[in-house]
Amino acid sequence: MAADLERLRQEICRREEELSELKQRLADMEKKSVEDASDGTEPKTIHNGNQKLTNDQIGRYSRQLILPELGVKGQVKLLSSKVLIVGAGGLGCPAAIYLAAAGVGKIGIVDYDEVEISNLHRQILHTEHRVGVSKAESVAISCRNLNSSLNFITHKVQLSSDNAMSIIRDYDIVLDATDNVATRYLLNDACVLAGKPLVSGSALRFEGQLTVYNHKGGPCYRCLYPKPPPPETVTNCSDGGVLGVVPGIIGCYQALEAIKIAADIGTPLNQRLMLFDAIDCTTRTIKLRGRQVLCPVCGDNPSMTQLIDYEQFCGARATDKDQEKKVLPASSRMTAKEYQTLLENGIEHVLLDVRLPVEMEICHLPHPALNIPINTVKKDPSALVEQIKRQLASSGIPLDTSPVVVVCRRGNDSQLAVQLLHDSNLNIRDIRGGLHAWARDVDSLFPVY
Amino acid sequence: MDRVKVKLLFFAKSREIVGKKEADFEFASCTTSVSILEKLIEEYPELSVIAENVVLSLNEEYLELDNQELTLQAGDELAIIPPISGG
Repeated sequence: MAADLERLRQEICRREEELSELKQRLADMEKKSVEDASDGTEPKTIHNGNQKLTNDQIGRYSRQLILPELGVKGQVKLLSSKVLIVGAGGLGCPAAIYLAAAGVGKIGIVDYDEVEISNLHRQILHTEHRVGVSKAESVAISCRNLNSSLNFITHKVQLSSDNAMSIIRDYDIVLDATDNVATRYLLNDACVLAGKPLVSGSALRFEGQLTVYNHKGGPCYRCLYPKPPPPETVTNCSDGGVLGVVPGIIGCYQALEAIKIAADIGTPLNQRLMLFDAIDCTTRTIKLRGRQVLCPVCGDNPSMTQLIDYEQFCGARATDKDQEKKVLPASSRMTAKEYQTLLENGIEHVLLDVRLPVEMEICHLPHPALNIPINTVKKDPSALVEQIKRQLASSGIPLDTSPVVVVCRRGNDSQLAVQLLHDSNLNIRDIRGGLHAWARDVDSLFPVY
Repeated sequence: MDRVKVKLLFFAKSREIVGKKEADFEFASCTTSVSILEKLIEEYPELSVIAENVVLSLNEEYLELDNQELTLQAGDELAIIPPISGG
């Protein structure tokens, strides 16, 4: 049954990609036939008295064509513009679909990753049956379904110091729709070196930020934030959470800014930073300082003339995926299966769950747990040790023999907790891999978030 | 020295660290941006980990970090803006 489902999903994907390719070919041929016709005696566009747009284009873009600010001139600019979207996620999806709708002639999408089910609440161009498919390809398929007359290029690679310049070179405007600090510095520097405006969006929880870097005398990312934040202070969407519509709104703004820059209309958001707070529905726009003459990359005498190692610069991997930490020795850890055995043998113990209460509500282990979030543990570990000892004593359990078992979602915070509580006389260990390991190795019906 | 009540606005990581979006805070009305940041860290020591990674703005204008004299008015809004990197 599971294999059949998987086969069917893959088959649908394959056919969707095939269909998408056919549509692109059809669009290319249609475009060519228009061009051929205009080489001949009776150009197809002559009837509308407009040498620049085809009848199809006039029909499709009519509602924005009649905007005096945009007009034929602006639409022609859009059709000949080339925009690169880095990141086919919560920001990249809405940005891509509006750029395609507006008729941006060439749209490039960079993403090395594949669609996961936990992406779908915010990465709205992917679909259930495209789980496992390349995100860049998935975005291209959805955009092509909306507007097959455009040129979509997928770059299924991780943007790096080695490939960034050659990818960016072919585009006029770049959208930063990425999810990690290292790639944001990389993209900033690459755009400065290549002389491209960078429309930068970001979102977490209920907050969004938007600005345009390296454009019309405005600052670059480094002019504002010369030093990368300490890695332990950076929260990603997986740990901090994000309401899908928040990157949705910021991604739409990114498309808007890119369209304005491409069509050369309005006032772009360079040298201004928009802060969006979804929970109160407020926006503030901060007037920023200009380009810094001493900036190491966009200043008057830049010390950086080529890309560097950004993972080293930031001290963090260029991904928002959580890395497994190795803090504890093996002797201070147990596997999920070992914990299951402990439960089955009815061994008295204290279970300490260091996740947030909101996470406890999602799911928890079958044994009653003391729920102390890791940040509370950090604030006063010795008080927690006393609390655990009291709990053991009140149950009449001897201190040194009874285990204290610490669990969290993935087995990282639990290690920190064991380390913080280590100096006591407690027999304390964590569950390696946390609840994810429990779901994988013990209880296949246990939810994974 | 005159003291004035200023509204602090915390964004992104600073909001997470401080645990609130806004707070009232009294500064000397005649001060500098460097001193403002120092006073902020004094009041919220947990912010020191990101002190070098924030933009400060006063009444929605970028605040250069320097020792130039600065006059605060009652009701001024001082925002602490670390970058968000997620998406």
